[in-house]
Formats: sequence, structure tokens, C-alpha cells
Amino acid sequence: MKQAIAIDRLRLKFPGSDGLLFRDLSLSIAEGEKVLLLGPSGCGKSTLLQVMAGIIPHSIDVPMKAERLERPKRWGYVFQDPDAQFCMPYADEEIAFALENRSVPRHEMPVRIRALLDQVGLEIAPHTDIHTLSGGMKQRLALASVLALEPDILFLDEPTALLDEEGTKAVWQTVKQVGRGKTVVIVEHKIDHVLDFVDRIVLFGRDGRIVADGEAKAVFSDYKDVIAAEGIWYPGVWDDYDRTARRRKHHKGEKLLRLARFRGFRGREAKIYVPEATVHAGEWIAVTGKNGAGKSTLLHALMQLIRTDGEYMLLGADIKRQHPLYRHIAFVFQNPEWQFVTHSVREELAYSLRLEGRPEAEIEETITRLLREFDLVEQQDQHPYQLSVGQKRRLSVAASIVAGQRLFLLDEPTFGQDAKNTFALLEMLEAHREQGAAIMMVTHDEQIVRRFATRRWVIEDGALVRDEQLDIREPVLAEGGAGR
Amino acid sequence: MKWEVRCRETWLHETNPSLKLIVLVVLFFAVLFIHNPNVLINVSLALFVLFCFGTGYPANVLFWLFLPFFLVFVSTASSMMMFGEGTTTWVRWGLIHITAESFWRGVHIGFRALALGLLGLIFSLTTRPVPLFYSLMQQLKLKPKYAYSFLAAVRLLPIMLEEFQTIRYALTVRGVPNKGGLSKVKRYAIPLLSQSIRRAQRIAVAMEAKQFSGSGGRTFYYEIGFGKYDIWLVALFAALMFAAYYVGVHYPYISISDVR
Repeated sequence: MKQAIAIDRLRLKFPGSDGLLFRDLSLSIAEGEKVLLLGPSGCGKSTLLQVMAGIIPHSIDVPMKAERLERPKRWGYVFQDPDAQFCMPYADEEIAFALENRSVPRHEMPVRIRALLDQVGLEIAPHTDIHTLSGGMKQRLALASVLALEPDILFLDEPTALLDEEGTKAVWQTVKQVGRGKTVVIVEHKIDHVLDFVDRIVLFGRDGRIVADGEAKAVFSDYKDVIAAEGIWYPGVWDDYDRTARRRKHHKGEKLLRLARFRGFRGREAKIYVPEATVHAGEWIAVTGKNGAGKSTLLHALMQLIRTDGEYMLLGADIKRQHPLYRHIAFVFQNPEWQFVTHSVREELAYSLRLEGRPEAEIEETITRLLREFDLVEQQDQHPYQLSVGQKRRLSVAASIVAGQRLFLLDEPTFGQDAKNTFALLEMLEAHREQGAAIMMVTHDEQIVRRFATRRWVIEDGALVRDEQLDIREPVLAEGGAGR
Repeated sequence: MKWEVRCRETWLHETNPSLKLIVLVVLFFAVLFIHNPNVLINVSLALFVLFCFGTGYPANVLFWLFLPFFLVFVSTASSMMMFGEGTTTWVRWGLIHITAESFWRGVHIGFRALALGLLGLIFSLTTRPVPLFYSLMQQLKLKPKYAYSFLAAVRLLPIMLEEFQTIRYALTVRGVPNKGGLSKVKRYAIPLLSQSIRRAQRIAVAMEAKQFSGSGGRTFYYEIGFGKYDIWLVALFAALMFAAYYVGVHYPYISISDVR
């Protein structure tokens, strides 16, 4: 079979790092093959993908050399961040940008743009503001503008890492359709949807060497332990988790929060309405609903970040009298970086405690405990920005809950996290819940709702429309054969 | 977040952005060389009328946009009036010394600032970034490299605005006191800049990955040409300047024809 990509003895080193990222790496990909590159974060999969496309060294200058390097002429590359791959404000203009680069005559453009949007299943008017699209739609638009280049080969660099379940599904469905007859090379951490599409898996080790390379199903079953240990989302990961999970304790504690005819405003408009609700200690409430329904707004209203009216009692007193609120409620945002206010992990944890003027000895003790609990001991003197994605997330949660708050508000805290980090985070939260905290968490992940939540709030069009108690599902033990 | 104000498209939106830019730059320099306050007052009034009725924005938006320029008008005019030099004293009170010369010079400078501000407002309110840069590439041969970089940057602005809001929330949540000049700037600037720089770098790579070379041949999705409104534009501004000059010279409000 003809080769689409051939790399022989590639050596590559990032300036400033100690060793070589790749030492004599050889890999070739045949035309029409669908290949998945798997491996721990930092092993160089994305870098390799950029070398294959020629982004390295053409756009990003990294010292490298190879004995032989054959690259495709016509290729398309979809990146991870939906907000960082467009240069134009409207969907049609973005696709047109790719067409312009190829000097496609102007009169052909509108027809081609419509066809490309249809091809990726985007039923939007071509002149739609990209800012109003959901993450999944943005990634499909990225795919459409890449298809405008008429590529023979598609490079996909974790295109769904920052998407919710629904967006992830839609993107992979589209890739399956448009990828027919093309060579497709994928880097991805969430492989549930990819596994039945690829025919070959290349598994990398921590040192950037190829551990396994072969037929997808075979590699997946032979190396499942390695894949699981790297925190990759694979089919059945939750079932495996259930086998190790411990039994959970449940008890409903005292009343923490009471809402009645509660409204939250953005500007002059009421954006969220809660007719009536009570939250007790020891509850885990999953806040679910479509994109833009008002889930985050509800959390913002509860944290009093926006103007509210109606009844809102916290710990038996009116919310206005519970100032400052951060002593009672911990809030965790989607992007951990926004919340960091100091220059080291240690300082970050100490910040809220110092603010309250607690004695230094007590602060020291709390920090030491939290560093251990959240597995950040080795990183304690690093700058928060230098941490890995998972570590940043753990730190932002640890720093938020340090003051012993009773109510946790979390806005999709598992977003963009790998399986290992997600499980670790959920278990930490669970431990706090068992000690009498109440958790209110926006999530799209049904698996989490089913396993951890004791109650579900459904938000629709800016209102709490359903409040249901969930059956507490005990972890199924090994012989139980948990189904998904 | 809602940050964009919807407006009605007027004929000024339809004009060629490059031509509009040139016309307004020419006017900009013309205003600098008007020394007759009567003429300048007429020009400012005419521009004000155009600003109110030609840009297509609702009155409340126009009011808030105009307010800072009005304050500039008041402050430049008053400081010139009170501290300028002159021989015909009207009021002397400590440091403040108002003379006939300084008074009219102040009025003149105030109107000049106002006229320049209005020119800028009229241009920016009736020009969308995408047609502007397409026109600059087509009519004024701006390199695509610069044009698309600017457009990409324009796209980042609303994202940054949203992030700014979130960081404000995040800091409130952490109990960060809402004071402290430099440290406060740092708290906002570092996360905002670190995100934006990384995003800009990624966008640049993504643009090159779409075979954007920054030079060489390309076609254009929008062909920006000239139309009847462009003739209107030139004719209107020519007539406006002429009328302002004629009325200012022959029917003056004040008897001073040169403030120098």
C-alpha cells in the first residue's frame, strides 16, 4: 500500500528541556489508514502530529532532524481549543478564509460554503456569529473549514477534549462520515467514541518511545492495564471504577439552604427562577440541563455574584446577613487559572486562611493536610500556572474549600480532565460530603450523576423545573457485571 | 454577555471603507487648519447632526458615546479660557485670568477637539472591521498578513471581555479585597494576558495550518467596490465644508475671524 506519511529516525528536542523528546522514532502510515495515537500526557503525541503535518518546523520552530520525512501535501488539522482556531467573526467568513487561501474563485464560494456546512451537519445560516455556537458546533465548523482545503489526510489533535458529551458525540459522528476514504490520524484521550472508527493504535510510553503498534482491538485488549493507568477514557472505564469503589455512607443532615421565589438577574432581566427548594447537609445535587439553560447562572445567583431577589436563607439566616459569603460557600469555576491569586501552591492554599486571620500554626497544619489529601506535596513551591491540567484543578478545589465551608458550588469541575483525575476529584468531594458538606455541581456527565448525585435539579429556560431524589446506587461489586 | 449594540444600517455603512477613511483623514487635517471659530462651530454642528442622524444608533447609545467627547470639549475649552494669555481682561481671580482672547481661543480649541472626536465616532460607528480590512487589502493594498492578524485580534476582544467578568467573579469568590491599585491590575492582567497570548499563538498556528501564507495570490469572499453612496459621501462632505466656510465668513456669530 502507498504510504501517506513516513518518518525515519526522528530526533526532536524542545529548547530548555533536558533530554530528547523523540530518540530515533520511526513510524509510517499508509494511505486510507485510521490511526489513533495514545499515551500519557507529555509523551509527545501532539508534537508528533505537528511534525507529521509540518507545523513543526514550519510554524513552530523546534530543533529536529530525521533521516527520512515524507509528509502529505494536502492536509487539514483540527486543534483542541474551539476558541483558538478561528480568525474571522462569522462562520461563512471563516470557511471563506480557507477558500481564499486556495484562490477559489469568489462566485463559487457561497455554494461551497453551504455544501461544507451540510457535510459536517451544521444546520445554521452561513452568516452566523461564531461566538454564538456551542463548543461542539465550533469544532464541526473547524472541520468544515479544514475540509475546504480538500485534504487527503486529517490530523485531529484532541478535538473533543474541551467538549461536553453531546458535542463529543456529534464531532466523532461527523469525523466518521467525512473521514471515509481519507487518511485520519487522531490524538485523543476520550476514546469511547473513537475505538470503533480507528483500525490501528500506536501506544506511546512516558519516554516518547512506541510501546505497541498494531490492530486497534488487539492493542486495546492487550494493553488495557497500561491504558487505564494513564487515565485515558476508554469504554467500560466506569464499570472498572465501580469494581474498586468503596461503599458510600448516606445521611441527611441539617438544613443548610432554603430558597423560595428566588430569582437571579443579569442586567435587568431575570435569568434564573427557583420556585422553592431546600438543601440539607450531606446532599449531592447534580444540576443538569441544556447549554445556556441557566445552570451557571443559578450558581452565580447562589454565590450572590449577580443581583437576586426572593427568599434565600443560608444556615438559618438571611443571605444578606451572612457576609462575607466565601466563609460559608466554596465556589469552583470551570477554568482553574482564573481563581489563582498567589505565586505558589502553598500560598494559594494559605490565602483564604490568612484572610481570616487564623493562627499561623493552624494554617501550617491545614496546608500540610490538604497538600497530602489533594496529592500536591511535591508541587507545593511551584507557581500554580506551571502545574498540569489535573493538578491545577485539584489545587483550585483545595484552595476553595480550605476554610471549611459547608456548601460547595462547582461549575463542571471534571471538564477536560482525564479519567484518573476525574475519579480522584470526585472521591475527594465525596469524602467532604460524607463529613457533612452539601455539594451542588453543574455537570453534563450522566455517569457521574448516576454514581454520585443524591438528587437532580433540571434547569430549563432559566428555571428549576424538576427536583428529583435519585436512588442511591451502591457500587456494583465485581460479580455484579455492571452495565452502562 | 451582551456587548454588541444592534444598529440600523445607514447609507454611511454602505460606503467604501477605504474612501471613507481617506475622506475623514483629509477632514481631520482640514479641521486642524481652520482658525476662524465661526467656521469651526459650523463644521462641528454639521458633524454633530450627521452623528445623530447618519449613524443609525439609538439615541441613548449616542448620548453615552458623545458624553466623554463633550467632557473633553468642556475641559479643553475651560482650561484654555482660564489660564490662557490675553490683553483684554474680563475676570481675574487668583490664578484664573480670563481675557477676551483666551475665551475665544478656548471656545475654538474646544470645538476643534469636538470636531475631531465626532469624525472618529462617525467613522467607527459606521464601519465594520471585516469590510474595512477587506477594503484596505483591495483598494489600499494592505498586506493580508496584517489585515487578517487584526481581524483575529478583533475576534479575541469579546472573549477577553467575558474572561474579565469571570475573573472578577472568581476573585470575589476567593474573598480578594476589591482594592489595592497595582496588585489589582496584576491580578487581572496576568491571567487575562496569559490566556490571550497563548490563544493568539494558537490562532496564528491554526491560520497557517489553513494554508495562509500572508503573501502571494488570494481571492476575496467580499469584493468591496464603489457605489453611488461613495459619490454622495464625497459630495456631502465637500458641500458641508463649503457651506460651513461660506456661512462662517458671511454670517459670523462672533466678530473674531482668526483666533491666533
